[in-house]
Amino acid sequence: MIEKILIANRGEIAIRVIKTCNALGIKSVAVYSDEDVNSKHVKMASESYHIGPPSPAQSYLNMEKIAETALSCGADAIHPGYGFLSENADFADLCEKKKLNFIGPSGKSMRLCGDKMLCKAAMIKAKVPTVPGSPGIVEEVEKALDIANEIGYPVMLKSVFGGGGRGIRLVHDDKELRQAFELASGESKAAFGKSALFVEKFLPKIRHIEFQLARDKHGNAVHIFERECSIQRRHQKLIEMSPSPVVDQKVRDEIGQLAVNAAIAVDYLNAGTAEFLRLDDGTFYFIEINARLQVEHPVTEFVSGLDLVKLQIDIANGKEMPFKQKDLKVNGCAIECRINAEDTFLDFAPSTGRIYDVNIPSGPGVRVDTYLYPGCTVSPYYDSLMGKLITWGQNFEEARQRMQTSLSDFYIEGVETAIPLYRTILDSKEFISGDLSTDFLDRFKILDRLRDDLKKEASQKSEVAIAATLIHSEFLKNRIRSHKEHSPHWKTQLGRN
Amino acid sequence: MKFKLENTGETLDGTLVKSLGNNEFVIKIGNNERNLKIIDMGHDKIEFVLDNSFHSAKYLENSTSKITIVVDGVKLTFNKRPDLDKIVYKNSGMESAADSQISLKSQIPGRVVSINVSQGDNVKKGDIVCVLESMKMQVSIKSHKDGVVKSLKLKQGASVAKNDVLAEIE
Repeated sequence: MIEKILIANRGEIAIRVIKTCNALGIKSVAVYSDEDVNSKHVKMASESYHIGPPSPAQSYLNMEKIAETALSCGADAIHPGYGFLSENADFADLCEKKKLNFIGPSGKSMRLCGDKMLCKAAMIKAKVPTVPGSPGIVEEVEKALDIANEIGYPVMLKSVFGGGGRGIRLVHDDKELRQAFELASGESKAAFGKSALFVEKFLPKIRHIEFQLARDKHGNAVHIFERECSIQRRHQKLIEMSPSPVVDQKVRDEIGQLAVNAAIAVDYLNAGTAEFLRLDDGTFYFIEINARLQVEHPVTEFVSGLDLVKLQIDIANGKEMPFKQKDLKVNGCAIECRINAEDTFLDFAPSTGRIYDVNIPSGPGVRVDTYLYPGCTVSPYYDSLMGKLITWGQNFEEARQRMQTSLSDFYIEGVETAIPLYRTILDSKEFISGDLSTDFLDRFKILDRLRDDLKKEASQKSEVAIAATLIHSEFLKNRIRSHKEHSPHWKTQLGRN
Repeated sequence: MKFKLENTGETLDGTLVKSLGNNEFVIKIGNNERNLKIIDMGHDKIEFVLDNSFHSAKYLENSTSKITIVVDGVKLTFNKRPDLDKIVYKNSGMESAADSQISLKSQIPGRVVSINVSQGDNVKKGDIVCVLESMKMQVSIKSHKDGVVKSLKLKQGASVAKNDVLAEIE
């Protein structure tokens, strides 16, 4: 049985895993780079070990160092979180070799999930429908141009090693494809040391809907409902929810079963996610299996009542899942907003630096997973995800209203965030009616509405701001005078006490 | 005192009418007189009750002409001397078209991954000058105008901060 888990990650997900470890009485081990000496996960874990310089390649991606640290501190298992080594089959193999219990699928299964081409072949064999398009990896830009012209623009250029939206680019013509091809191979080489791209037909106005999966060592497999993740920017998710407004129980049963079949087709073990695209006519296409715990797993936890990290640990321990598909029922509705350090008006460019102040919302049905605390730093070395705000309600409307008030309460000083954007989205009639698609922001010109909303909000607060400034400048004047008179206390000057 | 709200462009008038003692004041904004009671105050923040509603404000910037203030979580920028501002703006050349601006600045902090042009190169607006990497994302920095690369302030692998000049294009 697992008694001590090393968490090969940082930020909010490391904290998330530590919380379940604490609840289960399992010792937690944090690892950190030079950049993370003051990070919250380091302070929360039972033990913490330094593993290298800030650069991920030399710290959080350093397999040997992490495995060595786990062995020397007596950890018997490794939780990889998401990103970093979470979908690295070599790392899963290395753990197995060193007798460390890797909390996730086997290296072999991961390799199959990670190779989009092999995975696609396995799905076709298992009769799981996939996106029509490219035959295989495209090595030369000229070949990519040929395929693109054959299937017609716009096309998606994707990296076989991508994931979480990275290495995916939409291109409209030859010129864009040439530019994107170069950038995408560079990015892929920088992140994974190798590049392999493929081209797929771009499908307009699609929804991104995924199914949470779990499969144990006894061959039991279930889906834990869907998550609607259609609100995105640059192919990365911003808002997720469960259930989806377009999935009823019949569709859930049907597509959920396809997701389970997909998991079986790649001999998947532990918690994972099958991602689908849904066209306007209700057609679902399988796109990939994410062989890890997803960023957006809390929405599933809210509507299922499960602790997915606990489930992962139980499965890694060889336990049989204590429920069957028929026992799982959707309870209410949950919404998640990703709190990224990004500037909405600079095309979501990264925004980094010290967090001078932060107010974290709370209340009934409100959950915040974050590494933020006043005085912490958002590092340019790592992902921009600072936290996640998740709300639950008995129905969509209650969850949405709780999200709105929680977003207003969430104050982060020091970096730009998309919190104002989320408030505009949550307020839009299109979001309320469930008219979602991956091009939601462009389709409804949400950024223009955001500009108007910000103006309105500033206008509403202008009188209060002037009131504050009038009084405050009086205070400053008095303070200068008081310094001259060697009476340091402003309160006396303003007649207090 | 006149305040120009940069967020919307509207101008408002505000004056401190009188002190009632016990940290209470009467102020006038526009044509309305309002009661204000100070709860707490520091060098960059103030908490107060305005007509029975609590508010908190914090200054991110407070110079003679410009105030950036966060009121109840909402960020506002005021210009205390709207008349003066216009003159400075004109004389600093900021008013002229963006086309005549020479420096290409970085809008994000990041590490230089590649430099795609050389000194003396002819570039067109939208051409990629360099690629920066930050938070695992690669962002291409494009030329803001047609012109000739007069100088490059970039080094492969080096870090640049937000607003650093990357190149001069004339």
